[in-house]
Amino acid sequence: MSSTFEAEVIAVMEQNKAGEDIHKASLSDAEKAEIEREFAHYEDKASVGLEALRIVQKHRGWVSDESLRAVSAYLDIPVAQLESVATYFQLIFRQPVGREVILLCKSASCWIMGCAHLQKKIQEKLRIKPGEITADGLFTLLETPCLGDCDNAPVMMINGEMHRHLTEATVDEILDNKIKTHRAKGSCHAGPDTD
Amino acid sequence: MPTITIDGKNYQAEEQENLLSVCLTAGINLPYFCWHPAMGSVGACRQCAVIEYKNTDDKHGRLVMSCMTQVREGGIYSVDATRARQFRGGIIENLMTNHPHDCPVCEEGGECHLQDMTEMSGHTMRRFRGRKRTHRNQYLGPFINHEMNRCIACYRCTRFYRDYAGGTDLQPLARNNQVYFGRHEDGLLENGFSGNLVEVCPTGVFTDKTFSKHFVRKWDLQSAPSVCEHCAVGCNTAPGARAPGNGKDPILRRVVNLYNRDINGYFLCDRGRFGYDYVNSEKRIKNVLVACEKNIISSTAAPGERIHGEIHPEPAVKHLARHLAEVQQGRRRLIGIGSPRSSLENNFALRELVGKNNFFSGLSARDLQLLQLVDRTQRDARIHCPTTPEIESADAILILGEDIDNTAPRVALAVRQAARNRQKRQAQQLQIPLWQDASVRQLRVEASPIFFIGLEKPRLADITSATLLGTPEQTALFADSIAQLILGDDTGARKLAPDCRAQVEQVANTLRQAENPLIISGCGSRSSDIIHCAGKIAATLADTSSSPCSLYLACPEVNSLGLTQFFPAGEGDLEQLAHTLEIHSGTPCTLIVLENDLYRRADRHTVERIFNSADAVILIDTLLNNTARHADLIFPAAATAESQGTYINSQGTAQRFYAVCEGASYIQESWRWLVDAANFCKQKSPQLATIAAWRHSMDLSEALAANFHQFEVLEKIGPDENYRLNGLKIARQSHRYSGRTALGAKAQVAELPPHPDPDAPMTFSMEGIQSPAMTPLSAHIWSPGWNSNQSIIKFQQEINGHRLGVRGSVPIRRQPQPLPEWQLAASVPAKTSKTLTAVPLYRLFGSGELSVGAAAIASVTDIPFAQISREDAQRLDVTAGDIGQLQLGGESHTVEIRISDAQPPGTVGVPSGLPGLETLAALLPAPAQLERRSDREPGETP
Repeated sequence: MSSTFEAEVIAVMEQNKAGEDIHKASLSDAEKAEIEREFAHYEDKASVGLEALRIVQKHRGWVSDESLRAVSAYLDIPVAQLESVATYFQLIFRQPVGREVILLCKSASCWIMGCAHLQKKIQEKLRIKPGEITADGLFTLLETPCLGDCDNAPVMMINGEMHRHLTEATVDEILDNKIKTHRAKGSCHAGPDTD
Repeated sequence: MPTITIDGKNYQAEEQENLLSVCLTAGINLPYFCWHPAMGSVGACRQCAVIEYKNTDDKHGRLVMSCMTQVREGGIYSVDATRARQFRGGIIENLMTNHPHDCPVCEEGGECHLQDMTEMSGHTMRRFRGRKRTHRNQYLGPFINHEMNRCIACYRCTRFYRDYAGGTDLQPLARNNQVYFGRHEDGLLENGFSGNLVEVCPTGVFTDKTFSKHFVRKWDLQSAPSVCEHCAVGCNTAPGARAPGNGKDPILRRVVNLYNRDINGYFLCDRGRFGYDYVNSEKRIKNVLVACEKNIISSTAAPGERIHGEIHPEPAVKHLARHLAEVQQGRRRLIGIGSPRSSLENNFALRELVGKNNFFSGLSARDLQLLQLVDRTQRDARIHCPTTPEIESADAILILGEDIDNTAPRVALAVRQAARNRQKRQAQQLQIPLWQDASVRQLRVEASPIFFIGLEKPRLADITSATLLGTPEQTALFADSIAQLILGDDTGARKLAPDCRAQVEQVANTLRQAENPLIISGCGSRSSDIIHCAGKIAATLADTSSSPCSLYLACPEVNSLGLTQFFPAGEGDLEQLAHTLEIHSGTPCTLIVLENDLYRRADRHTVERIFNSADAVILIDTLLNNTARHADLIFPAAATAESQGTYINSQGTAQRFYAVCEGASYIQESWRWLVDAANFCKQKSPQLATIAAWRHSMDLSEALAANFHQFEVLEKIGPDENYRLNGLKIARQSHRYSGRTALGAKAQVAELPPHPDPDAPMTFSMEGIQSPAMTPLSAHIWSPGWNSNQSIIKFQQEINGHRLGVRGSVPIRRQPQPLPEWQLAASVPAKTSKTLTAVPLYRLFGSGELSVGAAAIASVTDIPFAQISREDAQRLDVTAGDIGQLQLGGESHTVEIRISDAQPPGTVGVPSGLPGLETLAALLPAPAQLERRSDREPGETP
């Protein structure tokens, strides 16, 4: 047998599924660092998918096709699989959302306590339907099945902050305050913010 | 074996079986959606609910999902209980709230499992009056239609596509009422088994787009058992054909799977399913063509190429008969060139006509030697050719230099299942029955060992334990050291670099310890060393375990192994033919080429020597090709679906296929043209008289059986044309076949008798045996209440068992012969800086000669390209996407340059058989040169 066997030419490819030609959209260093911190909690990289999407959404407001591909390339999981996760969870946004995401609870308790009126109020005030963004890019209204705060019904959550025992008047006040704050910051005519 | 009671009747059930399988095996009609015989149960659809009673005192019982219920000794169940029936009806009613009312315009209608189950559950009225949810559909490529509104969310599609076939681009998206099965974005489904979605989907979400172009209902299709001609695996198919009714030619309209437990089971690859359309292609030869004498102004034919016109067959056959007469008078030589893509019968007829010394294989010496080596290897008693279920149960697999994903796709799908064997064993230890699909797949167990060594990273790489990439020489060296190491000799391994040595040791140890090791290789690398090594490893493993070792050797074409049987070692190749013709140049010579494009088989020089030495070239073929340009006379040959015959697959199994429809115009089986010519000969030698007397395809099968001991089995495969069941032939048309009078009305208002079939025990008619239960010769899989392909379970001995009735696939009987002693020659690959070695790459769409004639496949076939390593790209100063000029064996081709990290340096990958590069396939591997050019577009002929 020949002794001219060139071992270095036989490339040993141990389960590296990263394709050569996958378009590498980039994640920021901060995003990567946060995603890497999650690796410790899971058995494999693929399981970090959901957390990675949350992290990207935290930084970018929503998950665009490019962001989805970037996460897919970074975690080495098929983009369709990631899309499957992203579209399963209601709070992963695959469309741009406003700076303030209003989650209006529509559970049984909130319904008894009149959330339908609140919804009408919000829709009329902001001139949006559920799933839409206000023209100034400030608000998105979403319905949600239950926020788990039934004893304080009706409730809504705006960007993670709970608002309880709502009435049409308090809703009005909360929204006005939000608008005022954003006007002060000068960010309300910027349109949907996607960075 | 537990005894159970269903609705008061006792049944014997298999241990550990689920109740749904038991019911279906017992012939009880119990509706289901998500369960699939090959994929087991997940309990997703809730359709198969039955009542289970605790004991005889329990009068109430509880609802259970039969697919998720393991039978227990003494179990008492009811399928018929009102509560169970109501529940199942409720499930259907719920599914129907969103299902559109579009059955009359849905292509699934008439063979829809959802329709069948709806009928079965008695849900005949719609009460729901609300809005239905609607989806946007996706473009999924030229093969599959997508109509998501019809979805009932049974998850079968993704369970097949993702879990069973390893696809990654079809996923369940969203949730609740919005669940959507689709891709991330519009685009071709990437997996090569996507066509099975058409059959796996219980309703009309995924339908066959090529069929849409000439759609008719299932019951209007004429069908017969056939064998896929697009590779050598030999999958069984049920093609469907029907005349258009406008006086035009009959159309072969689609191909669906025909269950054969040992080969294809329930699944086909996309080349096999969608390749049929070549039969309807514009390149189809339908009439006799003759070369015109005079030159035509502004013709594009190159020097030596002929221009043809149609003639009536009679003068053409008489012309051939005159040549035969001259041969008998000794004034002319007759040479026959056979083909690996034609049946045994056609090849045999030509061999008998020209005499065995004048019959050549139509293959280059290299190809024929490779096939003879495969044949020789399989003759060793220590070698076992595995069936698909055996491949699926192998506990260690070594794939040597064969890109089975593209050369034997159905085998690759079986290998993918074998990767789960450790997981399955773990499940058995945990007492989880294997049909509990989701539970078994959740077990986190290391994949079963599958090693791949070859040229290009395979699709299977996601399930292999190691993927090693190297040139064919390196693959052979690696394999040889494995064989040595199994015997305990590490001289070969010691010469390897440490990481390679570790790999060799791991592979050798794994194979040695395996209970069912399997070696897979074949002609793909075009290296006899690799086949020798594969045989050596298998033989060594057999010696150490003293039982035969499984070795699957993939052949390139549907009847490669059958053609090989006609030639003793070292005889019958094209180079020899070129040589012989030149020696005997004195006598005029007629060349009959049977279904073969010689330019794909040997280098241009050899082919031109052959054509130049013959003064008449007669081609019998299906599609116009390069050889046709040089033929004086072209006879239209029947395609597989239009003819009867026998193919020998890579396992050495003989399979009979039957005509689905009559060919258009003057198309007939190749052997009939030869018999016709023999009949026109007034003076007949005894040999010619025998040929002239052939009337039926079975006459040839019987003659083959009498002349070749390995073909003795041919007499036993399927009955002859005189076979009758209850006095009737088997009907190719269903009992609901419509418009038989109207179909031919354009030509003749009177209803003519059906076209006679002299070959098969079948009729081109509705009259005859309809039941697939009575004979496997019926390809129309249908049972009362079961209009979809799911009805196959009615015709199996047990779920996933053999089809009821006599089997049409029988292994040929070859004389056992031990493998010859063989040593791997020490080879030092000469490396010069400029020369690259061109090596073959295979593509599911593109490498098949006939399938690229199908419009849908042609639309996704790659442009000519050449693939090199990054290192060579730097040296040659080229970048990916550059237009290059590939010089190979005296030919020059314009190609797109591609760069791959996996391509071994020093090699250039050339797609085998790809349109535009088809003349290169026979030359590989060969030295080649590649350089950049920028003035031409790829695909443009130089």
